[in-house]
Amino acid sequence: MYDYIVIGQGLTGMLSAIWAREKGASVALISQGEGRIVQSTGVMDLIPAEKGNIVKMMEGYQNHSWDKTLIKNGIDRFKTLLSRLGYPYYGDIYNPIEIITGSGHLKSTGLYPETIHPIPEKGHVMVIGFQEIADFQPEYIKGNLRKERPGLNISTINISLGKRALRTMTQLDAARMLEDRENREYVLKQIKEQLSVQMTTSIDLFIFPSSLGILQWKMIIEEFKEKLQAQVTEAVGMPPNATAIRLYEGLKKEISRQGVRLYADTQVIGSKVENDIVKSIIIKNTVSRELKAKTYVMATGGVLGGGFEWTTKGLKEKVLGVKINQNGEYLSPIKNVYTVGASQGIDVTKHGITGGVFSILSSYAAIEQAVKEEKVYDQNAG
Amino acid sequence: MIKMPDNSFDQCLKCNTCVVSCPVSNHSLEFGGPKHLGPELKRLIENQEIIDDPSVEYCTLCGNCDISCPEGVHLTHFIIEGKATHSMASGPRFRDKILSNAELVGKLASTFAPITNSLMNTKLVRVAMQKNMGIHAKRRFPKYEFKNFNRRYKKKTANTERKVAYFSGCYATYNAPGVAESFVDVMGFNGIEVAIPDQHCCGIPMLANGRIDQAKKNAVYNVNHLLEYTRKGYDVVLTCSSCTLALKKEYITLDIDGAEELSEHVYDAGEYLRILNEKGQMNTNLASIDSKSGYFAPCHMKAQGIGNPAMDILELIPNYQIQDLAAGCCGQCGTFGFKEEKFDLSLKMGTSMQESVVELDPDYTVTECGMCKNQLDQMTDKPVKHPMQILSEAYQKAGNS
Repeated sequence: MYDYIVIGQGLTGMLSAIWAREKGASVALISQGEGRIVQSTGVMDLIPAEKGNIVKMMEGYQNHSWDKTLIKNGIDRFKTLLSRLGYPYYGDIYNPIEIITGSGHLKSTGLYPETIHPIPEKGHVMVIGFQEIADFQPEYIKGNLRKERPGLNISTINISLGKRALRTMTQLDAARMLEDRENREYVLKQIKEQLSVQMTTSIDLFIFPSSLGILQWKMIIEEFKEKLQAQVTEAVGMPPNATAIRLYEGLKKEISRQGVRLYADTQVIGSKVENDIVKSIIIKNTVSRELKAKTYVMATGGVLGGGFEWTTKGLKEKVLGVKINQNGEYLSPIKNVYTVGASQGIDVTKHGITGGVFSILSSYAAIEQAVKEEKVYDQNAG
Repeated sequence: MIKMPDNSFDQCLKCNTCVVSCPVSNHSLEFGGPKHLGPELKRLIENQEIIDDPSVEYCTLCGNCDISCPEGVHLTHFIIEGKATHSMASGPRFRDKILSNAELVGKLASTFAPITNSLMNTKLVRVAMQKNMGIHAKRRFPKYEFKNFNRRYKKKTANTERKVAYFSGCYATYNAPGVAESFVDVMGFNGIEVAIPDQHCCGIPMLANGRIDQAKKNAVYNVNHLLEYTRKGYDVVLTCSSCTLALKKEYITLDIDGAEELSEHVYDAGEYLRILNEKGQMNTNLASIDSKSGYFAPCHMKAQGIGNPAMDILELIPNYQIQDLAAGCCGQCGTFGFKEEKFDLSLKMGTSMQESVVELDPDYTVTECGMCKNQLDQMTDKPVKHPMQILSEAYQKAGNS
């Protein structure tokens, strides 16, 4: 018997587990594979693929009673956590910035790590590509960026990482390679040579694939800024990208360190519900077993995460086996179940996902509420 | 029942989560990686000509790809096939045959234990072994015990209400009979008698070295012998995470008759005690142990999806402090880390484990897996204990009998 069972290991699942644990609760986290955080960009958007700040976001979610204090506390809590994990996030959800993606398009984001720098309106930027990373094409990026930033002078350089691999190399491979000084020196040397061939001086910003180290990102960013005498940013996207992997690995390590019990490679195949209370869930790795908690947090990621499925008969809930309406809301509310992120239904997703900011706030709000309601319950019992 | 072929490779979306989670891919560019060697290769060769990709040798069968896959693809299943193909195509190496026969090596090495152990610590012998056999001279070897568990414990039946059939596995049998004895003691303190059924190596080292036929032979033997016990009401309990995973999962994947029936009765030792505790049947008369330890979770423990039973049980000991090192894969990976050409990579893979031990600075580390222990012994200066050894100590100190 746990205090909390969190189902799902994406951003919402891991944050919910950590925050419940910080309240002193015993927590189990059940996951069928790693969450979609691995495919994410690692930056926290407000409204997916749209511009707008937290005020505009909240206007879209009329049914949420989050006040300014809750919003402030939730974001502060996230920033405090990530600072403690050595991967601090910056940004202001009332004033999002525009950052570049791996396709050269811009997107608006609320919170981002130090490896991300906003794209200016004017000045000279240099896009650096690694020949070995097929996902990131500097000339293509230049073409798309030019449409969005006509006032910007954009140049490109293609260099080599100097190593061959027996598989298709990804930005993550590049990130791990750049942890070695030797590889960084090789990369920087080629950039400098190309700069002198192009007779280019005074670059304001260098745009790299999302690959500036994993554990040593801080030192690598500082080194690149100093050696290149300019600002440096990663262009997010094209999984697996380092911006997200640092976040994922940091949170993953934290849930274990905090003593969250991980039930990996485990499917939830049903639940026992009595009087609007989930009594237990049935989990399956190879053998089915029953698992109990006082409170359940659904962080199953909506349709994309596998929590819902579109069938010929409409939207279906796939985990607890409860009846939902066509927006994904439970037909009869269950008292000890809290839904977070995209588990709240299709009204809170755009293009199948919620923004990172919504994920953070809904996880925070759910745990705060669960703790409060459980206290009320305990008082009644006493 | 007709078994359908495993076509879970069709579910692969190429999302790369397995590659992100693969400890080998994260430290080597020489490995094709789980996505390529698993579902991609399988798609390519299904109903067509077999392709032998030699880089499949780099897969350690840690199973992190299986754990990580959001689409339920059984990557290691396809990789095991790839390993068998490669072994057939290139002929199994003498070294790999020896290394993967943990049981035979254990029998021989423990019979000549004092000699074996001192030879394995002789530099000249180790240099010769590297030269002639490809076993790295700097790789630490586990000690072998002359009084192996087979010589110490011969009870074939149990007469208590709850009955345990103990699958001790090669490591506890030949290298760490103390772990096996602790387990028997712990069960005894809970009023449970332990029988030791006839058994062979679980087969995991064979699968890792492409010897699928031998692994299946062992699996059939084990399933048949263990079913004789479970059908009489015994629970099968294990102290080694890899053997546990074999009995719970791999035998089903290998399509061994009776494997599914068996898996219903198989438990990790900590998991078994946790069930007793939840039912109020566990003896919790445990003496205080005032120490701070770091738990290292073996990959094959994580793959079982049972939470963290070792910590659940050890936290019942008064004043006992234990924290999860949260350190990923140890890099030893059974036979992998002994091999000359994999040794440096094995140590690189172990750095996150090594750093986490330095960071948390526990009095000692705790793990279920004998091979993880071997790497912990190689890369850290802390003692390494099995959860059952600690628990047995707490029972004894409390004056249980």
